[in-house]
Amino acid sequence: MSVARQARRRWLGPLGFAAGATAAGAALAVNLTIADFVPGNSWSVGYGVAATALLLLAAGYGARRRMMRTASRWRGGSASGWLALHLWGGGLFLVLVLMHSGFRLPSGQVTGWLWVLSWWTVLSGLVGRLLQRWIPRLLASGLSTEVLYERIPELVADLRERAARAVDGAHESVVALWERRLADELAAPRRRALYFVDITGGAARRLKPFRYLQRLLAEDDRERLAELERLYRAKLEIDAQYTLQSALRWWLYLHVPTSIVLLALLAVHLYAVWAY
Amino acid sequence: MAKRRRSGLKGSFGEPRLPVARSYPPQASRRRMVVLGAAVAAVVVAAVAWDRLAGGSELISGGPLSSSHAVFAGDCGHCHDARSRSASDRQCAVCHEKAGDGLGIHTFAAHYLYRSDDFRRVVPSEHETPCSGCHGEHRGRDAAITRVDSGACRACHFADFGAGHPEFDFAAEAIPDSGALRFPHTHHLREVMKREQLADPERACLYCHQATADGRNFQPLDFDRHCDACHLDAATATPGLPLAGATDGPGVLDLEQLAADGGPGLRWVYFSNPAELRRRGSLVVKAPVHHRDPWVLENLRRLRRRLYPDAGLADLLRVSADAPPHAVRELYLEAVATLEEQAEGLRGRPEPEVQQQLAAIRQLVAEARRRIEQPLAPLDETSFLLALDRRDPALPAAEAAAIERLGGELTEPCRRCHLVRDLTIVRVETDQRQLRRAEFDHRAHVVQRRCLDCHDVIPMRQFLESGEPVPAELDRSEIQNLPTIATCRECHEPRQAADRCVTCHRFHPDRGQRAELLPYTREAP
Repeated sequence: MSVARQARRRWLGPLGFAAGATAAGAALAVNLTIADFVPGNSWSVGYGVAATALLLLAAGYGARRRMMRTASRWRGGSASGWLALHLWGGGLFLVLVLMHSGFRLPSGQVTGWLWVLSWWTVLSGLVGRLLQRWIPRLLASGLSTEVLYERIPELVADLRERAARAVDGAHESVVALWERRLADELAAPRRRALYFVDITGGAARRLKPFRYLQRLLAEDDRERLAELERLYRAKLEIDAQYTLQSALRWWLYLHVPTSIVLLALLAVHLYAVWAY
Repeated sequence: MAKRRRSGLKGSFGEPRLPVARSYPPQASRRRMVVLGAAVAAVVVAAVAWDRLAGGSELISGGPLSSSHAVFAGDCGHCHDARSRSASDRQCAVCHEKAGDGLGIHTFAAHYLYRSDDFRRVVPSEHETPCSGCHGEHRGRDAAITRVDSGACRACHFADFGAGHPEFDFAAEAIPDSGALRFPHTHHLREVMKREQLADPERACLYCHQATADGRNFQPLDFDRHCDACHLDAATATPGLPLAGATDGPGVLDLEQLAADGGPGLRWVYFSNPAELRRRGSLVVKAPVHHRDPWVLENLRRLRRRLYPDAGLADLLRVSADAPPHAVRELYLEAVATLEEQAEGLRGRPEPEVQQQLAAIRQLVAEARRRIEQPLAPLDETSFLLALDRRDPALPAAEAAAIERLGGELTEPCRRCHLVRDLTIVRVETDQRQLRRAEFDHRAHVVQRRCLDCHDVIPMRQFLESGEPVPAELDRSEIQNLPTIATCRECHEPRQAADRCVTCHRFHPDRGQRAELLPYTREAP
């Protein structure tokens, strides 16, 4: 696909959302002009049907991700197209849900939870989208090492092993530094909220003891200390990767399970509307 | 290379020389969150299903019931049909169409007939919606379920109030107002303003148009309240009228003659002041003349009987039977009241046979009243009208003309305001409501608009300011001084004052106005 075509496609989502939101706004204006704006009337049912269709389409993105082979065999659109539909269609879904409910929290239990979960799902999706845009840039901006999330425990173990080897037979002050501070730090990958605001994780402050100790050691121990510092610095970077990549993975727990519950509640709601 | 192979490493990367993976690292499975979501969803669905199976409704319910139905919360079967699960009309009818009422006012048939009196309209339509189609429930305790969206009406009726609503009948069909009174509005407005020293003409309007307790409409016009202050004073007198027996032609009876002549309904004769009848030779003058003067009305009735011997029920009315269809019951009630009054006049008679007859009459009259007050009783005004069409064919034309002339002289004080036709004073429509199919709340409007802002067909403002006399053709009682629908639309339009159908119209007949329910309870012809 050409770059120009890709650029054009990038606008399809926002344009579709703008067109849908304009259509919804126009429908609302006509509704307010010629009829009541109350849940339950035919206008409101229309908004509800449109919202349901959009939610199902948005949920189709998740299904497609789990059926890549089938999707590619059926040629059911590109992944980016489905993602755009998921994002912008999800936004429009919330607009239609609000119109369906008359911009009020419904008083029924199922309908009330549907309303709350609609907000939650769309807002958590928005948070996820922002994280996906921001974290890769943050990772690329201040880190020299790029690691796969799944390999982090293995790499941390490797660093710890090499650090332990480096302090073997070193000066007692180096050993003390290892035992009191670094052994625990290198024991396992560690998440720190600090990385969201300082990608170095306060490295300058943490590495101060190395600067201080370096002046007191003999040449041989100074090299061991330098190796230890390099490994610790690598660990800090891996921790940054671990923290930020965890955020990229864990926001899904805020979004996906609630989306599934939302779909189940929608099914209950549709049953209630159909049956009663 | 050999060393690398031994250690299993493919190489290193980055400044700290981190080992490159020996194989493609498997991505952590995201199945857990799907399973978590599915498990919670399954719990939710199971809870709803369990709630349903246990007969509960809290979970699946769309919300609390409105205040009117709140007592049925938790008892779904009270409204919802067990088979169809929907709130069926039959269930609604259990409470809303009380057993034995027989009116069925919440049916579509009642809606078709309500105020239309047209049985051809009673044809089942595909658009008939269930009660719940208009009165949506489960929208919270404070929800107003009678505030129905106009969309429900549009299935059968015009588009909306702003476009498609027909003009009011009196304007569209140029139906005149009742002309039973000679009543120029502007003249009366001037007189009231002068008499009561009012600067504001609107106050003068309200001097006569006195609001009902709820302020929606005005009290029926009443002579004693509205006219007596100026009309029929002590100097009002009939012209000299020939006394019966004193001349060859027709004449009136004085009190002594009436008492001697006897007949029902003449008790008033014994309570009347003989000084009010002054003899001038063969003539008699009645002064003063009262409103509904019994002497005038009795003599008028006797003259009428000579012209129309078979007047029938019309003879029981004080005035003509010109009543609008919704007021036919009043004619019957007035006739029954006359019979009761006449029967009451016989109470003092000592003869046993009279008392026996009186008991029978009273029983019959009571039965008649009971039947008339039945909401399902078929009533029509023709019983009061047909008899007046048959003049006595044996009556010579000259004598008939003399009777009519005498009737005209007898009612001369009356005719200053009233119309007299067929020797009968034409009934005045005292109920001022003209919109029969819609409700209008004057109190809600008068705080924002002045009376003459809307009621401007008669140019009262213009002539009040100029002080000039109003030409009779511009100010007559026949002129419907009511605004057309265009005036309503000045305010009632989308996004302004309410313009939904139920703002003015009732879908269901009003139980409180049972007299108006009659048209649709009659049997189809």
